[in-house]
Amino acid sequence: MENFASLRDFAAILAHLMDQEADQGFDSSALDDRAFGRLALALFRLQVQSNDCYRRLVEYLEKSNPKTPAFPTSQKANWRQIPCVPTLAFKEFDISSLPKSQRSFVFQSSGTAGQDRSRHFHFQGSLALYEKSLARWFFHHFQTGNPETERLFILTPPPIETPNSSLVHMLETVRNRQGFPEAVFYGRLIAGGGWGLDASRLLKDLCEACRRNCPAALLGTAFNFVQLLDALGASRQTLTLPLGSRLLETGGYKGRTRELAKTALYRELEACLGIPSGRMISEYGMSELSSQAYDGRLDAEDSCLCGRRVPPLNPARLFRFPPWARCQVIVPETGQEADEGETGLIRVFDLANVWSVMAVQTEDLGRRLSGGVELLGRSTNAEARGCSLMPET
Amino acid sequence: MTLEKMPNYFLADLPEKAVLTPAVVAEACDALRQNRRRYLLERPTESLLQTLGLVAEKWLDNDYPIRRMALERGARQSGFPLSSIQKGLDGLFQEMTAENLNILLQQDLGHVRRLDCPSSAEAESRTNRKSFAVGPELIAHITGGAIPNPAILSITLGLLARSAQFVKCARHTSFLPRLFAHSIYETDAKLGACLEIAEWKGGNQALETPLLQKADCVTATGSDETIQALESRLSRGTRFLPYGHRVSFAYATKAGLENCSLQTLAARIVDDVALWNQRGCLSPHVVYAEKGAAPSPEQLAQAIAEELDRREQSEPRGQVSNPTAAIIDNRRRLYEIRAANGRETLLWSSRGSTAWTVVFDHDPRFQKSCRNRFLYVKAVDGLTDALNAAAEVCGQVSCVGLCASPHEAQSLVKQLARWGVTRICPPGKMQQPSIAWRHDGRLSLGDLIIWTDWEL
Repeated sequence: MENFASLRDFAAILAHLMDQEADQGFDSSALDDRAFGRLALALFRLQVQSNDCYRRLVEYLEKSNPKTPAFPTSQKANWRQIPCVPTLAFKEFDISSLPKSQRSFVFQSSGTAGQDRSRHFHFQGSLALYEKSLARWFFHHFQTGNPETERLFILTPPPIETPNSSLVHMLETVRNRQGFPEAVFYGRLIAGGGWGLDASRLLKDLCEACRRNCPAALLGTAFNFVQLLDALGASRQTLTLPLGSRLLETGGYKGRTRELAKTALYRELEACLGIPSGRMISEYGMSELSSQAYDGRLDAEDSCLCGRRVPPLNPARLFRFPPWARCQVIVPETGQEADEGETGLIRVFDLANVWSVMAVQTEDLGRRLSGGVELLGRSTNAEARGCSLMPET
Repeated sequence: MTLEKMPNYFLADLPEKAVLTPAVVAEACDALRQNRRRYLLERPTESLLQTLGLVAEKWLDNDYPIRRMALERGARQSGFPLSSIQKGLDGLFQEMTAENLNILLQQDLGHVRRLDCPSSAEAESRTNRKSFAVGPELIAHITGGAIPNPAILSITLGLLARSAQFVKCARHTSFLPRLFAHSIYETDAKLGACLEIAEWKGGNQALETPLLQKADCVTATGSDETIQALESRLSRGTRFLPYGHRVSFAYATKAGLENCSLQTLAARIVDDVALWNQRGCLSPHVVYAEKGAAPSPEQLAQAIAEELDRREQSEPRGQVSNPTAAIIDNRRRLYEIRAANGRETLLWSSRGSTAWTVVFDHDPRFQKSCRNRFLYVKAVDGLTDALNAAAEVCGQVSCVGLCASPHEAQSLVKQLARWGVTRICPPGKMQQPSIAWRHDGRLSLGDLIIWTDWEL
């Protein structure tokens, strides 16, 4: 069993591991199930010591389930038994090991005014780990060039307008690391807290990229892309973006605009932007986590070589987390782990969630297949996560 | 008779692969109108009451083949446990006697023969008038819920109103209404010929357009959004009787708690929760209990949990879908954290399944349940406190199961009525209203009628 003196020690080792994994191209991960389990259990113990809300939950579960084996403190313990916190709880409780005085950043889930939002507290140290985690896995899946070779288009508002969005922070980290100017953000905050699109500037700059034959990399949420499609539709335009262009979409509509099924969205984007659907990938992430999953890889060289003739990627669209995060699918009726192919509720064990809680139970349904997890939608059919009162079903 | 050998009288009897077309729906509507003129329009009320009473009697007979089919196949077809189907249908058909239907006619229309010929109740006699009640020619019922009773009751009321009826059921919900229609057909084929039962996924405009165009009255149960969407598609002359989304709760006063046996009260509340797995508008989401009583609200919550546990043995809830189980599981985990972190929350739940859950929550705000035997118990200082806490659902509360002492009941009922509650009953009866019930505060039969006054 591994022992770490503090969360800081754990984070330092994890950061080192992230670098190692990335440097090896994630080819043969050192974090096999046993190694992951050792780290997960060590982090669990640290979090039980330092995170009051989580400790009380673990004590409560032990007290109310006296017959079940003790929670994973023994040598034979399995990381899969670590108690999870539902994402719903981030709206109501401070799920954090950080003393209030040290919480210098907070990521909140998206939502409009009046809705309760999840809160994930950070400080400089946790943010640095978050940035390392996201960047290492992001650039493995979506290589960006530099401002001289391609154009970057980020369809969300800039960080100055949305300082509490973990997604925008992630995209800003990507932009910053590749040296693109701040003007690549094309979204803006609109009344009521929603996200709008500066469509005229975006269309003008996309046309410019076409004219200069400069590949475009577009990043945004699904609803950002629907807004782009609507803008193209309104101006009766279609574009044929240069070879090598590609797109990353982060999923989620949350009632902000018309909704499109993913295949329909990709089809329309392909028709209107001229980017083959094989050059589009999806990201799965949430403010409660510090790592993200992707359903495909696009590298810059392929894009130049293959251009529009690339076949659709990963047709089953399976999501994969980095080696320092594990996805578990449970049968919600029984709480037991689902068999491969069986639909269940997704839990994520994210070692990069050092100062909050590693084991998170989402509201998302999915199934584990060889090579990743297929997302099958959210288990609540009403509001996006959060409102002062919960929806019925 | 078996389901497979049952004759194909209705569109819902057709094999699943049979494709419904707008033309088929339109033709069915025309045939229904014609059959109504031939078989139903001049049918005396007395004869209708006898026939409907006879159908209900058959349904109460354990050997009646259609009842047996409903019980044997209903659970799989409808997703409800056998106990719910049995208790729910028995409760409805025990109410559906010729005598009770007679009372309903008198209550809603003032005179039992109103639909036969112009007649005078006292008010008309005094003003030298006779009045004649006329029902719609063709009613389209758009049923949204999974519970069969509202559809069965709608069919019954429509027949009393001498209306041909097309019942459009939501997906996977036509089985029991269809068996009821078969029982009418089998008892009196001419009446059965004035009914059509079909099933398709709501929002199918191609099929719904001819139905909405041909019907002169449309009733709809479902979400507020569904109802709004339907209403926008109706032509001006079509009458629309919507029954939108409603919720219910139970309320126990201090005196009510002290004057009854805790176990009995818990068992009655569980009756209201277990029947149709809490999926109807009349089932409680929350039990409000007054503080300071012995037993306390927490003790009531615990007694309800123990009763739900026992009930799971005798009347298991049955399976729910993965998304539903996921919602229950996530919600339970949230309350575990609340309970662990001292927010005066207590949680009782079934082990190894999502079969039942009771949350005692200090926060009195009305919280919609995720249903399927998930109940909140909340402590309040009094009814005013509870109603303030339920302000978000004011105007949407269908039923309150009231446990109070006789001397305080009347003033509580007045307060609840003025707040907008349309039905109050004892716990244990919430899901089994009288057949003469004024659904959502409106006359169930009376709403179907247009009056003709004849001044003598």
